[in-house]
Amino acid sequence: MSERPAIRVEGLWQVFGANATAALAAAKAQGGSRGDIAGRLLDQGLIPAVRDATFDVAPGELFVIMGLSGSGKSTLIRGISRLVEPTAGHVDIEGEDVLAASRKRMTELRRTRMGMVFQHFGLFPHMTVLDNVAFPLKVGGMGRKARHEKVMPIIEMVGLKGREAAFPRELSGGQRQRVGIARSLAGDCSVWFLDEPFSALDPLIRRQLQDEFLEIRQRLNTTIVFITHDITEALKLADRIAIMRDGVIVQIGTPTEIVLNPVDSYVREFSKDVAKGRHARVGSVMRSDAGDVGPDDPGLRSDMTLEAALASCMSLYEPVPVRDGDGKVVGMVHPGDLAKALQVEET
Amino acid sequence: MSALLKLSPGLRAALITVLTGALCLALEPVAPWLVKWPADWTLPATEWVGAALEWLLGGIKPLARWFSGLLGYPMAWANAALTQTPWPLIIGITTAIGWYLGGLAMAALGFVGLSFVLTSGYWQESMNTLSLVAVSVPLALIIGGAIGILANEAPRIKPAVQGVLDVMQTVPTFAYLTPLLLLFGFGPVVGLIASAIYAAPPMARNVLLGLERVESEIKEAAVMSGGTRAQQLFLVEIPSASLQIMVGVNQCLMAALSMVIIAAVIGGNNDIGWEVLLQMRKANFGPALLAGLVIVVFAIVIDRMSGALATERKRYDPRVAYGILALAILAALLAARFLPGPPSWSLFDGAAQWVDDGLGAFNTEHGAKLTDFKNNTMFFAFLPLRIGLDDAVLPFTWGFQWTNAMSLWFFGVAGALAGVLWATGRPVAGLMLLIAAGVIETGVANLPWPFLFVALGALGWVSAGRNLAVMVVVLLSTILLSGLWEPAMLSLYLSGISVFACAIVGGLLGVLCAISPLAWRFIRPVCDMLQTIPLFVFLIPVLMFFQIGEFSAFLAICLYAIVPMIRYTRHGLANTPGDLVEAAVASGATPMQILRDVRAPYAAPTILLGLNQTILYAFAMLVIAALIGTTGLGQSVFLAIGQADVGLGISAGAAMAILALIADRLVQGLAEERRRALGL
Repeated sequence: MSERPAIRVEGLWQVFGANATAALAAAKAQGGSRGDIAGRLLDQGLIPAVRDATFDVAPGELFVIMGLSGSGKSTLIRGISRLVEPTAGHVDIEGEDVLAASRKRMTELRRTRMGMVFQHFGLFPHMTVLDNVAFPLKVGGMGRKARHEKVMPIIEMVGLKGREAAFPRELSGGQRQRVGIARSLAGDCSVWFLDEPFSALDPLIRRQLQDEFLEIRQRLNTTIVFITHDITEALKLADRIAIMRDGVIVQIGTPTEIVLNPVDSYVREFSKDVAKGRHARVGSVMRSDAGDVGPDDPGLRSDMTLEAALASCMSLYEPVPVRDGDGKVVGMVHPGDLAKALQVEET
Repeated sequence: MSALLKLSPGLRAALITVLTGALCLALEPVAPWLVKWPADWTLPATEWVGAALEWLLGGIKPLARWFSGLLGYPMAWANAALTQTPWPLIIGITTAIGWYLGGLAMAALGFVGLSFVLTSGYWQESMNTLSLVAVSVPLALIIGGAIGILANEAPRIKPAVQGVLDVMQTVPTFAYLTPLLLLFGFGPVVGLIASAIYAAPPMARNVLLGLERVESEIKEAAVMSGGTRAQQLFLVEIPSASLQIMVGVNQCLMAALSMVIIAAVIGGNNDIGWEVLLQMRKANFGPALLAGLVIVVFAIVIDRMSGALATERKRYDPRVAYGILALAILAALLAARFLPGPPSWSLFDGAAQWVDDGLGAFNTEHGAKLTDFKNNTMFFAFLPLRIGLDDAVLPFTWGFQWTNAMSLWFFGVAGALAGVLWATGRPVAGLMLLIAAGVIETGVANLPWPFLFVALGALGWVSAGRNLAVMVVVLLSTILLSGLWEPAMLSLYLSGISVFACAIVGGLLGVLCAISPLAWRFIRPVCDMLQTIPLFVFLIPVLMFFQIGEFSAFLAICLYAIVPMIRYTRHGLANTPGDLVEAAVASGATPMQILRDVRAPYAAPTILLGLNQTILYAFAMLVIAALIGTTGLGQSVFLAIGQADVGLGISAGAAMAILALIADRLVQGLAEERRRALGL
């Protein structure tokens, strides 16, 4: 992550209630940890929904924010996209200070750089699929013919070709969210916000849309902030995951780190139901000193899942070498450690 | 005192109320001002208000006159357009719109309805009325829509706007007329402006509600699509709220029609409302009923068609509508050649005459019985409530004279019963009984003012806390100080008995409809009908049988105000969540037990809201009912119109609004308290 991050969020606070800005400044002036500050605000009857959130998202990265309902994740994404005005902090998107942007500039940014997908779709009930998808171009001043030509490939990409003239009420839930996705992409956004896009859908449709979403992502290479309350979804999609509780980001890490090294019981509780073997990789448990390996070489690679690795060295008791993608030995792992890593939750 | 504090709030309130009442009665001989507020203690508020308003209105009068002159043009145009257009074309257009909005049934409604108007011989008058509506409704839509949008855009003024809209809804319609008369002079323009003012609030309210109810994600999607505020509002939010806004259009139309007809009392326009009034004054009930039916037909046609706008149903093939229009043009051309103009048609005069004759015969035959019924109700129920047993029981009415000893006995029995209730663990019920006994003995019109202050204040405290109690007392004192206490008490008495009757009868009908879907199938269209009819028309059938007087006014109020009680009671009882009922059935409860122990408590907040609506409806009708002889504030408002006395008109109107507002807040407070208790 040496290049400039696509999104940089620093010390973001979102406090609800009367005179929140002044109250937050006063509470901060008294010092102490973010927990102390939040406590003071709560005592005044204010609600600190997001508490001092800080993170970077690299260009092209798929960053998932996960937490239970009420953990502040939806508020956080609304603060970044400035659907609500953050109480304090900084948000840079592609080098531009978003919170300092004028109303006019903000409108422009939304037309050209940002796209957003909503949990309950947020489709305009009085417009057809075509008009819904083309709406960002319409408000941007593009002519009717031009915008319709521009959005047709997008509608085709999300698999809604032939339904352009339908109204949202005539579509199924999965189809509606396809419209929502298409609309958010109409403006050629480089930063894509998705607020629990698949939570309102049936499990089968959800999985199907997740797969299609990954395909679309491959093609577009946008920076993505994705909100979900579903750990399986987070692990399946994410490059990195931020876990939120009570407005605080408690851990940021790759899916493997989250599963294998939860920072506290809250995060562990999340990953409890996850089949760890399927999400953690050999690289996360291997030792890098490839010294004392045994005679057997079952051909482990560092990006293998634990499950697959364990299956191939089930009958072995000695440490085995681990190779990278090029076949070079990068470390070793003891089969016992593999088994142990899978049982972290039992302790 | 500390013992008093330990009692439950309801019991404490009731106890204080009883003590205040007893104290007032006991002190009456030494301090009569405790019961009856002395006239020279009142402030000449009415005159002040009058003088201030006349000064203020005088200032803007030139502007108003200019505006009224300006409005004269669109009015003349609308009138010319409606009266000069050949009648087949108007019927055809209505039928075509009906088809487009609601298919065959709606087209038939439009066709049959307007044909009835045509053949009744009131075409000209109806078109005069419609031309007023045609100008006032667009005016109201624009004003109301603008207010709604403005309130939505500026959250800071929203509560204020909502408060004003609330108050405007409780100020009786007639009260608008006096200042308007002063501003604009007599003439149809006043009716037009009054109707626009009256019809704008429902539009504003619905626009605001609709905009508020647009899903937040839809609003956010508009923001994230990069729409400017204006684009968000006009491209997304207003279209998304269109159904709710159409509800506003529907209510706006109905309010405008209702007000235009009421405004006929100031005359100056040969319209259908005036016709009804004229015929009623001549005691020609047949023609009055016929003209009233024309109004009802208009109300129904306008209501159903604009109501169809507010549903998401599909629209019907416009080609058929064009076909109907073409036919209408053809018919218009033919009619211009062969048929006489509409005014000479009066197919139903015979029927009207027949109704008149029949009514005359009925009244000569049964009139005595009706009069007996009326008098008995008056003597044995209304009068004691109004002036108290001690004044109402006379040899002439009851056959004996009420004595002080009887009062003592009466209170003694009530006290004993209250004691029994207290002893069996229902102290609040016992105290309520005592209060009721006191009210019957004294009469509502003669209640000591401190008693009413304390009773209503305590009720406010119990239902919604200290703020409401303070508000109630402050508002009541303005009435007391302005010298309108006496008419206010008379209004309170008349609306009180009407609401009481509505609550009992409407509640029972609601229960019946909740139990028996069959009954609801018959009662529902009647309810729909009663809610569509402009207030004015209720007076006709009542007058036909009971002549002018308080009893007729009572009946007219009840007819109108009973509907919400029936609807809400049924709705509350019938819509208890299925799992609650299933749980009760599974526990082995009989249907009656379910009704009493599960449905009724669950429905209580809804039923209270129905009662609230009934009270507001009763106050709205009270002024109209003053046309057929009631005393009280309604009469004052009505007198003020005749004398163009702005001070009296506004003060009496305000006093009425205050009473309605107090009743509204008290009942809503109770409903809210119940809902909280149920965790809803």
